Amino acid sequence: MNRSFIFLILFVVIFIGITSSIFVVDEREKALVLQFGQVKSVKTEPGIKFKVPLIQNVVRYDDRILSLDTMPLEVTPLDGRRLVVDAFARYRIVDVVVFRKAVGTGGTASAEVRLERILNAALREVLGSVTSNAVTSADRVELMTRIRDAAITEAGGLGVEIVDVRIKRADLPTQNLAATFQRMQAERERMAADERARGREAAQRVRALADRKAMEIVSEARRDAEIIRGEADAETTRLLADAFGRDPEFYAFVRSLKAYEGSMTGKNTTIVLNPDSEFFDYIKESGSK
Amino acid sequence: MPYKDDSDGPWGSGKKKDKNSNGNKSPWGGNSGNNGSGPGQGDTGIPEIDQIVKKGQERLKVLMGGRGGSSGGSGPGRGGAPNFGKSTLSLILVGIVVIWAFLSFYTVKPEEKSIELFFGEYYDTGESGLNFAPWPLITHEVLTVTRENTEDIGVGGRGGRQDEGLMLTGDENIVDIDFQVVWNISDPAKFLFNLADPTETIRAVSESAMREVIGRSELSPILNRDRALVSADVRELIQNILDTYSSGVNIVRLNFDKADPPGEVIDAFRDVQAAEQERDTLEKKADAYEYQALAQARGEAEQLKQEAEGYKARVINEATGEASRFIAIYNEYVSAKDVTRKRLYIDSMEKVLGDVDKVILDQNSDAGQGVVPYLPLNQLRTGSNN
Repeated sequence: MNRSFIFLILFVVIFIGITSSIFVVDEREKALVLQFGQVKSVKTEPGIKFKVPLIQNVVRYDDRILSLDTMPLEVTPLDGRRLVVDAFARYRIVDVVVFRKAVGTGGTASAEVRLERILNAALREVLGSVTSNAVTSADRVELMTRIRDAAITEAGGLGVEIVDVRIKRADLPTQNLAATFQRMQAERERMAADERARGREAAQRVRALADRKAMEIVSEARRDAEIIRGEADAETTRLLADAFGRDPEFYAFVRSLKAYEGSMTGKNTTIVLNPDSEFFDYIKESGSK
Repeated sequence: MPYKDDSDGPWGSGKKKDKNSNGNKSPWGGNSGNNGSGPGQGDTGIPEIDQIVKKGQERLKVLMGGRGGSSGGSGPGRGGAPNFGKSTLSLILVGIVVIWAFLSFYTVKPEEKSIELFFGEYYDTGESGLNFAPWPLITHEVLTVTRENTEDIGVGGRGGRQDEGLMLTGDENIVDIDFQVVWNISDPAKFLFNLADPTETIRAVSESAMREVIGRSELSPILNRDRALVSADVRELIQNILDTYSSGVNIVRLNFDKADPPGEVIDAFRDVQAAEQERDTLEKKADAYEYQALAQARGEAEQLKQEAEGYKARVINEATGEASRFIAIYNEYVSAKDVTRKRLYIDSMEKVLGDVDKVILDQNSDAGQGVVPYLPLNQLRTGSNN
């Protein structure tokens, strides 16, 4: 009885001893073994690790890529226009000893405060050396690399490696938004007016062209018609001349008779005749004989 | 003694069975849920297990109580202990094995994968099915891999920011963009080990990538035809950035929910569209006018032409007729010139003088000589009219 009780206590003690001297470093972590606050060893590889129980303790740090979002920051590029820049960084704790020494027991929270300061300084410095166009447009990639490189050197003192710095937003301050909107609006109004004017222009052009074409078509037709009429008249003249040319005197006679018939018809004609006229030849003859 | 036989039987067989056929998970399910999914074991087994568990619990209580008493020193002479010592011990063992097995075996669904860590170090990736990770040597984490996760970006001011969707384009215009990033996990180990905050990282990277691409392009193409292009560019960029983090994230696709001008100026943009329509309308109307005018002109031209042709035909026909008539008369006239001439003359005179008013004056007669003839033409005319 007494022996088993002692065994039990021994077992418990050994168990506690083993569990407090063994610790597991996860794939996602790095660990520091501290002995009375002094760094004894650094465990960067995952796996099962040992330490002296009671007098050593383990501090773990995240080995994954950590994120840091900066607060929106107003920077002034070379051309004096202000820009609101919102960046974020991805960093990783590479040297836990340096990191521990730099930030103390504050851990990532106090590291981020210092990192943000570093980042903001780098942002200001790099973005202040270019024009605002470069920030907002195509050169952004190159700028981000420069900011990252600037921040990397600074962050080395924290035991931190900056994996990436990216500009999330680079916008105009709210006060400038209104001006931009107005400009956009004016631009659109110009476009609308242009569209409408062009529409009217095109319509007018089409109409004028149509009128011209119509006029051309009609006048050509008139011309052709006159040509045809002329041909007809020529033909007529030729035909008649042909016919009448056989005896112009007879034609004149016949045509005159016809003209008389045509012109002296109706009741509105009064003719004063001399009995000497040929028509009365026979009247006189009978009277005198 | 009988307990031991009874209890050892089903547990032993169950254990063996499981070791033989790894895919069969029913015995463990049955144990954990008491009688949830263990019909395959036979109905007789379950009440026995219940009994055993109950009795085991009772005995455990007794054992604890006994130990407590013994450590307290009040009752050193509890003679009951050796009586159930062996069976209780086996029950405790069985319990430990069950708990251990419960911790060590786990299922992975088809859409999942598991990561096994051997003392914290990456050991294996578990596929779907029943997996075995002997605890506590190996721990496991199950991740939903193939399921598509979506991150909405730009929609309704996250974090109190209303203008999240507003982005600056290359030509310094502002465009309001909402989009969705759809992602899943391509490499569960990388995903687990490399990113502390995957969702936030994906969001931040997506927004940054979108702003970068938008910042490179101009406003109007984004609004119209280049959406697919922008979408592809951004997707590629996000994927590249995430790959540099070894994130194990796969961007499945990028959905553009909205790419509009901001609300403040959208009316102006709509007006441009209206103007475009108006222009089109004007042009179409002009076209209509053109068609009409030209058709009318062609019709008129044709009419003129046909009229001319008609005139030609008529005039020539008439002339031909007249000529023929003259020739015919002439031919006859040649044979009897005087008579025909006379006849024609008299015929005509008859016709002419038949209808008209006539005044015949003989100026040569003696009676009329010396007299100035007065001819009241007007009276004659009116008289004739009456």
